[in-house]
Amino acid sequence: MNETTPTKDARGGALATVGTIYRKEMREVLRDRRTLVFMIVFPLLLIPLLLSLVTELVSSAVEKAEAETVRYALYDGERLPGLAEALTQDPGFEAVEGVAREDIKAAIRDERLTMALTVREPFDAGAGPQTTVDLFYNGASKISKVERKTETVLKRQSERLRVARLEALGLDSPDKQSAVLEPVKLETHNTADMREVLGEQAGGMLPYMFIIFCYLGALYPAIDLAAGEKERGTLETLLLAPIPRVLLVLGKFLVVFTAGVVSALLSIAGLGLWLVYQGQEVGGALGEIIKSVTALDLTLIGLMLVPMAAMFSALLLSISIYAKSFKEAQSYSAPLNMLVIMPAVLAMLPGIELDWTWALVPITNISLAIKELIKGTMDYTMLVAILGSSVVIAAACLVFCTWWFNREDVLFRG
Amino acid sequence: MLEVEGLCKTFPLPRGRRSKGARPPGAHDPREQGQQFHAVRAVSFRAEAGRILGLLGPNGAGKTTLMRMMSTAIKPTAGTARFDGVDILQNPLGVRRTIGFLSGATGLYGRLTAREMIAYYGELHGLARAVVRARVQELARALAMEDYLDRRNDALSAGMKQKVSIARTLIHDPQVLIFDEPTTGLDVAAAQTVLELIARFKREGKTVIFSTHHMHEVERLCDDVVIIHQGELCFTGTIEDMRARTGARHLDQAFLALVNAGRGEGEVRA
Repeated sequence: MNETTPTKDARGGALATVGTIYRKEMREVLRDRRTLVFMIVFPLLLIPLLLSLVTELVSSAVEKAEAETVRYALYDGERLPGLAEALTQDPGFEAVEGVAREDIKAAIRDERLTMALTVREPFDAGAGPQTTVDLFYNGASKISKVERKTETVLKRQSERLRVARLEALGLDSPDKQSAVLEPVKLETHNTADMREVLGEQAGGMLPYMFIIFCYLGALYPAIDLAAGEKERGTLETLLLAPIPRVLLVLGKFLVVFTAGVVSALLSIAGLGLWLVYQGQEVGGALGEIIKSVTALDLTLIGLMLVPMAAMFSALLLSISIYAKSFKEAQSYSAPLNMLVIMPAVLAMLPGIELDWTWALVPITNISLAIKELIKGTMDYTMLVAILGSSVVIAAACLVFCTWWFNREDVLFRG
Repeated sequence: MLEVEGLCKTFPLPRGRRSKGARPPGAHDPREQGQQFHAVRAVSFRAEAGRILGLLGPNGAGKTTLMRMMSTAIKPTAGTARFDGVDILQNPLGVRRTIGFLSGATGLYGRLTAREMIAYYGELHGLARAVVRARVQELARALAMEDYLDRRNDALSAGMKQKVSIARTLIHDPQVLIFDEPTTGLDVAAAQTVLELIARFKREGKTVIFSTHHMHEVERLCDDVVIIHQGELCFTGTIEDMRARTGARHLDQAFLALVNAGRGEGEVRA
């Protein structure tokens, strides 16, 4: 008799058996603190905490940079009339005296100066050559506002002098001045909306996080339900229960699958909660994306993660049943960690877009599809194809897992 | 009743142990042949209802493999076994409904209570929930484990755990019981309880197959004995036959004499 196939008459009993296994395994999973942390606490809290922390840190750093007074030294300022006055009148600048020109770099390094300006050649009030002003500052910090603040002052000064020169040449209206300065003007019309542009820049990170949480959520239950059974010495008696082995695998698979799906959905819920309570306060690029992500987008993202959870569950359960102990299962699952992380990371790389080729690459296709959903540019034909192919792959993984579970050399290794 | 007919089990040898050419006799384990390891070789015997059969043999003799085949955990390479006429190859699920299997190495689900664990196996055997509830209470009374029935298994002592294991084995009231070193790791009192239970199953008319290394347990409980050595049957008969055959006064001496004889002579029938 083939043990893996329940008879037709036994289907009702088969469901009840799978239910019995599912309830028991789920009860054990829910009583395991480590699994609960990975399945519920991390996914629900980590994304909101990380996002809050990042936005808080970035906002406060930017505010600090904006409020910071720029301590400057001006050399040969008399060569450009009005520059010294403009800097003095701006409350964001504070002149520092007594720094020799050859000590500029040292003074910036020691933070005695924020920046230094040197005027190379005297300004010619007529139509003389361009005057160059050199700005010395430490540009290592990406949020430094020194360059922008100085540029603002210089541009104002430059604009005033340009207008004066053009008026001296008889160009007395702004239109005439523009026509001379810019005879041909290019007007750009970007058809991509703000969501698409920003989703492309930042949308790769979120699918990566959802996928990792989905994987981690399934990892510990899978190890506990197979390698854990071997280690505790409960597997052999379980295999002697009068049930087809396929039902045993299905019961266990469904528990691991539930853990993976719950974990993935909670990570999305964590993002959703953060969007509702904190996200609306966020300005800038991230704020623009947040405001444009809808509940339907989140639902579709959740749907994409379901076949992925099934695939992870079947693979992890197969690895786990091969291992002789919990520790061995953790070692064997390490290569799978890389196989999950690498394709998920691909979606973050610039230039990788969802097309029919990438749609065939497992994990990457779902990662890219989630990115497209965040950008609001999903091709729904492709979405259905990705979903369908992922379901087929997940089903193949489950068939393999069932076959693997029937092998004596796997169950009774060593 | 159990009938075992020519059971054989062969495993592929690990690469490092595969022989590449002929080796002189005695230079290696005779069960290793080419790329195969013949763990159990054509073992046949019978165990009657209402009697306890002791399955004996040195470590690595093939007892566990034999019991795994009988209990349908693994499939034999050749031969078969029947429990009350139910064949292990033709109806493995039917066999599992007939037997109860307990090993000294059997573990428990630590995060379940004793009641939940026993009930789980009852449900897996297809018993109705009401029947399972009643049966759990009945077994708890019989095994004096009512006080800790709702305590989590990971909080139980070794003796308590073994009682939970026994209750789990008996939940479906099996007619044939297979015990693989059930007293291993137990203290004297807990081992005593297990042995008394095994004696009770005999009185209840069940067929009991009992594997152990302790000859005093064999002497106390077993009616019949089967000795396996290097995967082959080297003795079947009663305890009295063992003594008569070897002339030894103590059972452990008789056992050693039969195993040593079996090394050169093959099966010794009483």
